Amino acid sequence: MQKLQTGKRPLSFYALSIFFGLFVLFLYGPMSAIYILSFQGPTGGLTFPMRGWSLHWFDALFSQQRTGDFAGAFTRSMILAVMVLLLTVAISVIAGLAFRRRFVGAAFVFYLAVASLIMPGLLVGLGVGLTFQTLGVQTKWFASALGAQLTWTLPFGMLIMFAVLSRFNRAYEEAARDLGATNWQIFLWVVLPILFPGMIAVALFGFTLSYDEFPRTLLTSGAANTLPMEIWGMTTNVTSPALYALGTVTTLVSFIAIALALGSIAIIQWRRSRPVANVSSAKEPE
Amino acid sequence: MNPADQRPAARGSIELAGVTKRFGETIAVRNIDLKIPGGCYCCLLGPSGCGKTTILRMIAGHESPTEGAVLIDGENVVGKLPVERGTAMMFQSYALFPHLSCTDNVAFNLKTRGVEKTERRARARDMLDRVRMKSFADRLPAQLSGGQQQRIALARSLITNPRVLLLDEPLSALDEFLRLQMRGELRNIQAEFGITFIHVTHTQMEAIALADMVVVMDQGQIEQAASARDVYDRPRTGYVAHFMGGQNVLAGTITSRQSGNFTIASGNKKIDITAPRSATASSPAVGDQFEVAVRRDRVRLTRAPSQAADAGVNAVTGRVSGIEYQGTWLKISIEDACGEGFVANVPDDQFFADPLKMGDPVIARWDADELHYLVARPGRAAANGSTVVAAAGS
Amino acid sequence: MKVSPALTSYLQIGPLLLVLLLFFGIPLLVVIAYSFFQFDGIDSVPAFDFVNYVDVLTSGVTLSLYLKTLYYAVVVWAITLLVGFTVAYFLAFHVQSLIWQMALFLLCTVPFWTSNIIRMISWIPFLGRNGIFNNALIGAGITQEPLEFLLFSDFAVIIAYVHLFTLFMIVPIFNAMARIDKSLIEAARDGGATGWRIIWDIVVPLSKTGIALGSIFVVTLVMGDFFVVKVMSGSQSASIAMAMSNQIAMVQYPPAAASAVILLIVVSLMVAAILRVVDVRKEIAG
Repeated sequence: MQKLQTGKRPLSFYALSIFFGLFVLFLYGPMSAIYILSFQGPTGGLTFPMRGWSLHWFDALFSQQRTGDFAGAFTRSMILAVMVLLLTVAISVIAGLAFRRRFVGAAFVFYLAVASLIMPGLLVGLGVGLTFQTLGVQTKWFASALGAQLTWTLPFGMLIMFAVLSRFNRAYEEAARDLGATNWQIFLWVVLPILFPGMIAVALFGFTLSYDEFPRTLLTSGAANTLPMEIWGMTTNVTSPALYALGTVTTLVSFIAIALALGSIAIIQWRRSRPVANVSSAKEPE
Repeated sequence: MNPADQRPAARGSIELAGVTKRFGETIAVRNIDLKIPGGCYCCLLGPSGCGKTTILRMIAGHESPTEGAVLIDGENVVGKLPVERGTAMMFQSYALFPHLSCTDNVAFNLKTRGVEKTERRARARDMLDRVRMKSFADRLPAQLSGGQQQRIALARSLITNPRVLLLDEPLSALDEFLRLQMRGELRNIQAEFGITFIHVTHTQMEAIALADMVVVMDQGQIEQAASARDVYDRPRTGYVAHFMGGQNVLAGTITSRQSGNFTIASGNKKIDITAPRSATASSPAVGDQFEVAVRRDRVRLTRAPSQAADAGVNAVTGRVSGIEYQGTWLKISIEDACGEGFVANVPDDQFFADPLKMGDPVIARWDADELHYLVARPGRAAANGSTVVAAAGS
Repeated sequence: MKVSPALTSYLQIGPLLLVLLLFFGIPLLVVIAYSFFQFDGIDSVPAFDFVNYVDVLTSGVTLSLYLKTLYYAVVVWAITLLVGFTVAYFLAFHVQSLIWQMALFLLCTVPFWTSNIIRMISWIPFLGRNGIFNNALIGAGITQEPLEFLLFSDFAVIIAYVHLFTLFMIVPIFNAMARIDKSLIEAARDGGATGWRIIWDIVVPLSKTGIALGSIFVVTLVMGDFFVVKVMSGSQSASIAMAMSNQIAMVQYPPAAASAVILLIVVSLMVAAILRVVDVRKEIAG
C-alpha cells in the first residue's frame, strides 16, 4: 500500500489484483458468453457447444415476425433516448447553475430529486400511469414514458453538474464581465464551452439510462413497446439464440454511445490541458 | 493606429471618498479616503483580510461600496459596469479562457463589442506582438508557462484601452525567479502604456520595488499612503514600521522627562531617548504612550563590558539571541533590550572582524538623527501620510 | 432587460422542479390517493377506505414476502459491500498511476451503461444445467452431476443482484477513498500501524459516507426489484415488488397502491436508519 520508491509491491497488491481480475471476469464473463452464443449456427441451442458460426439469429431478429416488432421498438427506444438526452442536458445544466446561489426552496428541490432517484421504478411507473388514467389521457411512449424516465435521469444529471460546477472557477465569469460581456454572452461564450465535457457526461447518462430503462417505462409506454420491453417479452419464453442476438445488438449500441461520449471528453480534456513538450519557464521568448 | 498612443495626460486618476464596505456583519473596508494620481503605479499592501482586494474590486466594479463614492477622473462610477468605467482587471489566477487560443482570448473584448472576426483577430495579434507573445498566437493557455500566461492576461486587459489596470496579486502564482523577472516587465508595460496601475500584494519588497505610491493597509483602514521611500524610511505608525520590516520599534510609557530626553518604560527595561524638537512642556507628558522607530541598519553594536551595564541615551543593552547570515549583512537579534525584540543589521565585513556569539552581551547605539517618531494608531486615516510628530529624522 | 439574480435562480430551477412535480410528486400523491380507493373486482372506486391497508397488513403472505425481500436485501448488501469495498480499496490505494485508476474504474463502470436485463439474462446460459459453469465442472471432473441449485434459485437471484448492483457500492466508496489524504496513511504507517489496523481505524471511518450512499442505493434497488427475482428464480420465488406488479397487471390498482405506500414507508425507514448512522448530506452536495 505504500508508494515505495523501490517499486516493490507488497503481497497484498497481488492478492488484490487477482481479486480485481476475478471481479472483472465476473462482470464481463457472462455477457461475453452471450455475445459468442449469438453467433450460434442455425441448428445451435441456447448454450454451448457452438454448432457452427453464423449470423442466422441476427437475421431472424430483423426478419421474423415471431420475435416481435424489433425494428419498431428499436426506433422508439432510440428516439426516446435522444429526447431524454437533450432534455436531461438542458434541464440539468441550468438547474446546476441555479444551485450555485442559495435561494428559498433549494433544499426542497434537492431532496425531491434525490427521492426521485432512490424511488423504486415500479412505483414511479404506477404513479404516472394512474395519473394519466385519472386525467383520462392515454399513456404514450413519447409523453408519459418520457416524463417517467426523466425522473430517473434528471437526478443523475443534477449530481454530475454539481460535481462539475464545484470545480468551475468563477473567475472566468468575472473576467468575461470585466471584458464587457453581457450575461448571455458570458453564458454562451464562456460557461457553456467550459462545461461542455461535463455536459457530454450528462448526455451519456441521459441516453444510456433511457435506452435501457425498464420498470418506469413498462407501465407508462402505452401501446407501443420500447426495446427493453421487447427483450422482457422474449425472456418469458426463451426459445432461441435470437434473444442473444438482440442482446449483442443492443449492447453494441450502448458501447458506441459510451465510446463516443468518453472519447469526446478525453479529446477535449487532452487538448485543453496538455502542455507542449518544449515549454519551460526558463525559456521565455525574446 | 494604436489606441494607447492617443492617451491624454494623467488620465486614470482615482479617488475614494468615505468608502465603506460591509459583508453582513463584517466590515471589510472602513471609511477610506484615498487619492491616486493618473499614470501612477500604486501598490496596495497588507496582510490577508486587510481589505486591499476589496478596494481593488470596488474600483473595478465587481463589488459596490456600502457607503461612499469611487471617482475615476472626477466622475463617480459607483453602479457602473466594469466596461463602462474604463477599468480592466487582471485576476490572480489570470482566468484565461481555457477553451480559446491566445488570440481569441485577447480578442474577447473586441468580440463583445461586435468587432468582426478578421479585424479583431488582427488587432489581437498586434497586441500579442506588443507583449512579445506573437509566436504563441494559436496556443491554448494550458500550453503556456506562468509568466507567459501573465503576458496574455495583460494583453487581454490592455486591448480594452483602459485608464486604470487593476492587478490582483499577479505575481503570487509564480516561482521566485520568475517573479523577479516579471516584476520588471510589469513596470515596463506600465511605463509604456502610461495608464494607472493598481497592484495588490502582500509582499513588501515587491511593493517598494514597483510602486510610485504604496498604500499600507490593516483591518480595513489605511495606515499610510506615501511614496515607497517614505513608507520604508519614515513609517507613519508602528504597524507600518513592523510590516515593512527594516525598523526597530521602541514603544512604551514615558516615565520621566528631563532637558530634552525622555525615559520610556518598554517591557521591563528603561530606555533613554532624545525627545523630538517639537515636544512642548506639556505634550507628550509623563504617562503617555510613546512610539519611536530606528532603522536596523543604522544601529552600531559594541560588546558590553558586563550584562547590567547602563546603556546611556539612545542605546539599549541585551544579549545576542540570534545570528542570521544574509549575504552582505547579518541579522543580529538581541533579547531583553526592550519590550519587543531588537534587531541590528550588521555589514558582513564589520561582523566578521570581531564575530559575536550567541549570548554575548552587547550595547546597540544610534544617533539622535536616526530616530523617527511615530503617531499612535489613528482613528481616521489621512489621505496621504505625512511625517509625524517631529522634524527629527526628516 | 435586467433580471434580478433571485429571479434567474427560479427560472433556472423551474424546468427541473416542474418535471419532478409532474412526473414524481403528483404521481406519488395519486398513488397514495388510490391506496384508499376500493376495488370491486373490476374497477377502482374512489373512496377513503383503509381496507387495502388492512388486507395487506394482515395477510400472512405480506409478511413472508417482506421477509424474503429483506433477506435478499441484507445478503446482497453484505456481499456488495465486501466486494465493492475491496475493489474500491484496490483502485484507490494500490493503483499508482492516475491513468490506470481511471481506466480500471471505467472498466468497472461501463457495464452500468448497458442493458440490465441483458446482463441478468446472460447468467442463464452460464448457470443452467447444461450451462458453461456446470459443463466446466463436469469436464474438470469436480462433479458428476450438474449442480441444480445454480439456476432458478435464490443463489441465482443473489448472484444476479450482486452482478448488477456492486457498481453502486464501488462508485461512492471509491469517491470517498480518493479524498482521503494519503499522508494520513503514511503517518499511521510511521507510527507502526499494520495494514489491517490502517484499514479499520482510518480507511473505513473516512469512507463512511461512501459506504452509506452505496448501501442506500443497493438496498432500495433490491427492495424495489420485480424482474430479476422473477426471471432468476424461475418464478419460484417472489418479492414485494413482484407481487405488486402482478396486481397491477390485473388492474387491481388500489391494493397495489396500498402495497406501494407500505413499501415506500419501509424503504424510507431503512434509508433513514442508514442516514442516522452516517450524515451523508455533505457528500452529495460537495
